[in-house]
Amino acid sequence: MNAAASPQRNRFYDVAEQVGAGFLGVAQVVGGMGVLLGRIVARFFPPRIDYPELRRNLYKMSVKSLPIVVITALFTGAIMVIQAAPIVKRLGAEGLVGWAAGFTTLREIAPLLTALMISGRVGANNTAELGTMVVTEQLDALRVLAIDPISFLIVPRFIGIVVTLFMMTLYADALALLGATYCAKALLNVAPTSFYHGLTGGLLHLGDVGDGLVKSVIFGIVMALASCHFGMTTKGGAPGVGRAVNATVVASAAGIFVLDYFVSFILG
Amino acid sequence: MSIAEDIGLETFAMARAARELYSVFVRTLYYVVRGRREKGAVVRQMYEIGNKSFVFLTITMGFIGMIMVYQSGLQTRRILPDFSLLGATFLELLTRDLAASLAALMLATRVGAGIAAEIGSMVVTEQVDALRMSAADPIDYLVKPRFIASIVMTTVLIIWGGFVMFTVGGAVGYFAFGISWKTFASTQLVSHGDLITGLTKCVAYGGAIPVVSGYCGLTTFGGSEGVGWATTRAVVNSSLAIIVLNFFISGAAYVIFPK
Repeated sequence: MNAAASPQRNRFYDVAEQVGAGFLGVAQVVGGMGVLLGRIVARFFPPRIDYPELRRNLYKMSVKSLPIVVITALFTGAIMVIQAAPIVKRLGAEGLVGWAAGFTTLREIAPLLTALMISGRVGANNTAELGTMVVTEQLDALRVLAIDPISFLIVPRFIGIVVTLFMMTLYADALALLGATYCAKALLNVAPTSFYHGLTGGLLHLGDVGDGLVKSVIFGIVMALASCHFGMTTKGGAPGVGRAVNATVVASAAGIFVLDYFVSFILG
Repeated sequence: MSIAEDIGLETFAMARAARELYSVFVRTLYYVVRGRREKGAVVRQMYEIGNKSFVFLTITMGFIGMIMVYQSGLQTRRILPDFSLLGATFLELLTRDLAASLAALMLATRVGAGIAAEIGSMVVTEQVDALRMSAADPIDYLVKPRFIASIVMTTVLIIWGGFVMFTVGGAVGYFAFGISWKTFASTQLVSHGDLITGLTKCVAYGGAIPVVSGYCGLTTFGGSEGVGWATTRAVVNSSLAIIVLNFFISGAAYVIFPK
């Protein structure tokens, strides 16, 4: 009886153990990110930031990401119109296509897709860079030289990612609407002027743009915390760097989607 | 002069990358038909790609389903206070585009990063060269099983993700806007064309992710830092590939299946 029951029970314990370990892992990551945020905020009063490093990071993160943001935004705007076209035609409301595409783009799609693309390019790259520094003990070398790694490395990257995402979302808003305008002209024969009229005709407010930008700042904070946290806690040599990058990408994507819901709900 | 030089260099680099990517794709297709069959390789990759992405995909798709219905409900309330078509329209968009594209973007981050990191670290530790020396083409041995597994599992996960999105969206519709489940779950607007478009996207994205990330992994150089770079490129390029493919497939579907 006992011998027959024991494998069953072991399997149950295994599953329970896995679920528990999963929760503990998530709690550890969230806690680590919270502590990191506290440390970063402490460096702002009074500001102890390495400005040359900040400038270098801003160039590397923002200027170098422009091409992918431009391509993504133009195509996304066009896709929004292609998807809205049958619905708009069915309702016979071609004049509303500017409003429909504008609303979705400004509030949801532009911040979300820009965040995903930037998380792939900037967030992952940042983790790889920090992780390599950790496994080659460069961070310890900084500490030995009495240089605070948080204010020298982390704070410039944190500001860099948040600022990058904010500016790229602004760009993406404008470019997606440009792509949408000319796609609407090609597919639905809606003149660009009436498209812009749909955008500015009173159904859309500056608040809709503002909502998207608030989201982009929040996504930027989460992404920056995730990528710096996983970079700083890299363990296990070169394969560890790969694992850290993977963890960053997954955590950023999950964090972005979950927070998107709550932010939409609060702002809505 | 130097700007022209930069642009020219970039163009040549992009053309070269496009040709190599095309060559990886064609060789993958060739080996799918003619390659050697390694027992269990595809199943192992299916587990890696499919089962391990299940929880991640369920959570993210659930949340995005809630956002979509909530936002479109707010939008509908601004112009016409009639929610009867909200569910049907949502299901139509879900079938035609949203389920496939959003799930594929999620998978591109997880699966693409995984494939590139794995193949990339094999490249920098010279295991891929060892494969070539044993007369095994790394594309047959490494990319092909991932390609087959990804096409199957991406399709399965997208259908599951769409189901999760719709169910969770229905719950939000009921609790936030008082739309009954019967009104919400209506298939009156979904046509055969929508279904074909959606399934085409599943297969196209499922094929694109492993080919693009496999190519990024195989072109890794520069030690462990190079693996990080390869992963980054894999995620960005797979996401771009999905967005561009979405544009072309949606455009073609709009022409082929007029409403």
